[in-house]
Amino acid sequence: VDAEWPDRNSVPRRRPGSAGVELDDNLAVYDDVGQHLILLNAGAAAVWERCDGTTSFRDLVAGLTRAHSGESPSAIEEDVWRTVRQLAEMGLVDDAGEDSTPG
Amino acid sequence: VHTTSSFRALSYGFAVHADDAGLGRRVDDLFAALRDPGPIEHCYTLTSVMSPSAPVGGRSCASARVDVTRDGHLVAECQRAPDALGWLLWDVNRSAAEASGQHLLFHAGAVQADRSGVLLAGPSGSGKSTLCAALALAGLAYLSDELVALDLDTGWLLPYPKPITLKPGPGISALRDLDPARSDALTEPGAGADEERHVPVGDGGVGRIAGPCAPSFVVLPCYQPGAPTTLTSLTQTQAFMQLATNIVNFKKLGDAAIVALGALVARCECAALTMSDLREARSLVLDFVKAPVLEVDRGR
Repeated sequence: VDAEWPDRNSVPRRRPGSAGVELDDNLAVYDDVGQHLILLNAGAAAVWERCDGTTSFRDLVAGLTRAHSGESPSAIEEDVWRTVRQLAEMGLVDDAGEDSTPG
Repeated sequence: VHTTSSFRALSYGFAVHADDAGLGRRVDDLFAALRDPGPIEHCYTLTSVMSPSAPVGGRSCASARVDVTRDGHLVAECQRAPDALGWLLWDVNRSAAEASGQHLLFHAGAVQADRSGVLLAGPSGSGKSTLCAALALAGLAYLSDELVALDLDTGWLLPYPKPITLKPGPGISALRDLDPARSDALTEPGAGADEERHVPVGDGGVGRIAGPCAPSFVVLPCYQPGAPTTLTSLTQTQAFMQLATNIVNFKKLGDAAIVALGALVARCECAALTMSDLREARSLVLDFVKAPVLEVDRGR
């Protein structure tokens, strides 16, 4: 994954065909590349679900900032950036503008 | 030569030829609950082979071994008939799992209480076979003690009523204590005290056989000698993550597996069972699954 990715214009996309299963406050997702079962907490799940391949990183952050209005926007953006990168490193997210995982 | 009935282990059809009629009849008894009129797709042979061995006391003698083959390919060379049965069962299990990959397969046992399927999932040594046998002796219907298939379309558990395999150890004597009147059913001809034994199920064996059933309960047993026997509720997340480790074909099914597993834990009450006392463990499970008291003497 590129060191700078995602930038504000990036369009993160959930791996096509991947399924998430809601469990209590968590979400289980299967990474069929690494063949791992990954359990996302509520925060990471909220990011993963918004990676729809049409919403830009900037809009994704804006939406989550509105949903968590009491928190610092810059802190939210940093958290979301780190989460999207981790999801990409696990093969759960790529960039809709690329054929494969960025990098 | 004895040719057995045709059997079906989930999607795997087979029959067995044995040149020792007694051994062949034993196979028929052990697999009776798997009888199926469908086509025989695979054929095992159990062949006695005499081989000369070193002279003993100045006299030469011959010893017999039993070769187990499937479709002409050697599975195992066994020194004793019980070993041959063990290898036969091992290969049937393995082949049944391979042939039934369209289902979600758990390394688990399962029983049916009233209309509710109860999945008992755990690794080898967790006590699931012993617990299955104890619950079957209590009157619950038996699906399997080792490999359970969940139909991805219906979400139901499918029966694979193989003989119950009991490892040597305290489990066998604990089962005998539970039901002394039927302790004969827990013996296997020729098996020593330190060898695993295979217990027939259904008519003439332990328990009655269940049909396909909707799962309502999940129990994750863990045998821990000396620990208090307890049953503890699990969250969906806890049950999901533990059950995932007991899925045989997770990688093959991928996303379909987690969707089916998610649906399973959503519809079931799930609990972890730590057990050292079989009688107590059985009572806890029977209470948990709300099974009517049948043949269980809970007061003892």
